[in-house]
Amino acid sequence: MNKFNYLETDVLIVGGGVAGSMAAIPALEAGLKVVICEKGKVLDHCGSIGCGVDHYLTVMDTGPEWDTPEFLIRHVPELTDHIVDMAVASKVIHEMPRVFRKIEALGVDFKDRKTGDYYRLRSFGLPGTYHINFDGTDFKKHIGERVRKGKATVLMRTMVVQLLERDNRIYGAVAFNFRTGEWFTIRAKAVVLAAGDVNRLSKNASGMAFDSWHFPYNTGDAQAMGYRAGAVLANMESVEATLTPKGFSTQGLNALVSLGAYFVNKSGERFMFRYDKKGENARRAVLADAVINEYLLGNGPVYLDCRHLSQEMLDRMEYTLQVDRYTLPAFYKQKGVNFREELVEISVSELSIRRSGVYFRGSGLAVDTHGETSVIGLYAAGDCATVSGGIAGAAVLGHIAGEGLVHRVRATGTLPDIDAAAVEPVRAESMAHLKRDGDFGWRQLEDATRETVTDYVGVRRNDKGLRLALQTLHALAKREPELKADDLHGLMRVHEAKNIRLNAELMASASLARTETRTGSAHWRIDHPQPDEQHWRKFVLVSRGADGPQVETLGTDHAMADAFARNKTAAAA
Amino acid sequence: MKKTVHNPAVHNPILINPDTCVKCNLCDWICPGDLIYKEEDNRDTLPVIKYPDECWYCGLCQTICPTQAITVVFPDNMVHNKTDVATLLGKVVD
Repeated sequence: MNKFNYLETDVLIVGGGVAGSMAAIPALEAGLKVVICEKGKVLDHCGSIGCGVDHYLTVMDTGPEWDTPEFLIRHVPELTDHIVDMAVASKVIHEMPRVFRKIEALGVDFKDRKTGDYYRLRSFGLPGTYHINFDGTDFKKHIGERVRKGKATVLMRTMVVQLLERDNRIYGAVAFNFRTGEWFTIRAKAVVLAAGDVNRLSKNASGMAFDSWHFPYNTGDAQAMGYRAGAVLANMESVEATLTPKGFSTQGLNALVSLGAYFVNKSGERFMFRYDKKGENARRAVLADAVINEYLLGNGPVYLDCRHLSQEMLDRMEYTLQVDRYTLPAFYKQKGVNFREELVEISVSELSIRRSGVYFRGSGLAVDTHGETSVIGLYAAGDCATVSGGIAGAAVLGHIAGEGLVHRVRATGTLPDIDAAAVEPVRAESMAHLKRDGDFGWRQLEDATRETVTDYVGVRRNDKGLRLALQTLHALAKREPELKADDLHGLMRVHEAKNIRLNAELMASASLARTETRTGSAHWRIDHPQPDEQHWRKFVLVSRGADGPQVETLGTDHAMADAFARNKTAAAA
Repeated sequence: MKKTVHNPAVHNPILINPDTCVKCNLCDWICPGDLIYKEEDNRDTLPVIKYPDECWYCGLCQTICPTQAITVVFPDNMVHNKTDVATLLGKVVD
């Protein structure tokens, strides 16, 4: 009996968030057949936060110099502390106005309801008012609607567990539905990985693994699958944290700082200017770094202070915050705190691998200017890819990948057949977790991973601690076959937990290699506490080696794609 | 350091009012974490919060509920958190 449902498509997209959906649109427009696998059940919400969007970063090319792609591009090296793939970042920024207009044409209203104009704000160290603050409750609904109208096949509650690759060419994937237990083999001429960032990676104040700033259901599946298929990853040493009301890891920092909130320490000092001349308008990485330092200096607790703001600003803030996280007002209410009149204690969130607190650097699967990874036919966009970051980054790089793959698909000859007998071990190995007994489940694996990451791979790193962490992570990997799953849902979590552990290993390996500190606590080596501009204007690249992660470096004067074997092969040919 | 809270008995984040719930399946459909299970095509059974400790507290179930039968309730360790933030900032091994 064939244990797999077999599907054949031009394009398989893993993840139906903004990046995946925006990749689907040009593919559908080109008349390609598209299948989307999504762990959730709807296309109407953002894949990183599940709700709407409260801001969108874009150059609009409306006339002033600051609003041109060229102006923003000139500031990118400084914004990323020079660790950036300028070839891809420039392409993304050049594409911003076009993709923005396209999203508007899908029906998204970026204009302020009161004034009828765009309400643009400056934040996170950007050299212009690039963030449109708007009511994006329906932002993703419009994008999802376009994908549905294009007749993409969407497999919901379906997790892709392995890519099929031969000779550095992707030809499909293996997936399972964790509600029905159906397994799928999907043959595809191109695969887009858009499954988001890595969460559930370290501890936070509440001690609850699923209380994370971004979706806890994004567990580095794309990065792990891409790595196993031979793709190169970059900037995995850079971590990202944010500032959250203590006890609830929630988004909203952009709205707070762009609308004028302050942060004060236990002495009432507004300390951000000690860390950056832009104060609260500094980059996210700087804000998080400052609060980490204040806590380590014994200046905590740190508080959010909105008491000086006008009623109009406070109204706007209150409204904006619940667009991003619907339950935040309820949290304040249950807590009995009125942020308009009282100080609110804040914490540093758990860590995630995403974009390292700065725009345009990105951490994850390295891509070229067409969104293609080092593996032919394998594309990546959104928080799982380099450069891309945030909603706008996801939208633009997703669209770039969607346009980029059209040529690849059309030039594709005959793909290898999927041999059901050859992929059966993938299914069998996975299903074996349902038969395990014992007390080692995904929660235990994740707990151990989080503890190790928090203690030794987190914000304060040194050689000894990182080596210790790698030992623990390797020992945990050996135990993975023992993992027990109680049901199909638990089996999905088992796969997630393995992916989280693997991402932690890649993060620790890259962190060990980068013997300097870069972008504050995004990569803080206490044994190498200064940036080393002479030796470390380099990317740390990680890929699958014979005995685990293989780490290489590449000067940032190169595009990451220069390190891709497929380009070297092409050059040699 | 405090261990992660896993025991589902610790807290049920999603309260469903059995009197107003119309047993329609929308909360199951929208939950991004696959935590809420509602028997399909059976108007007699209530949704079940099968994996409460995996809730993100997004409230999507609350927003979509046609009869406002759902309330998201935060646990005490979130609302009145006492964690020393410095304990989250790593150990330094010499």
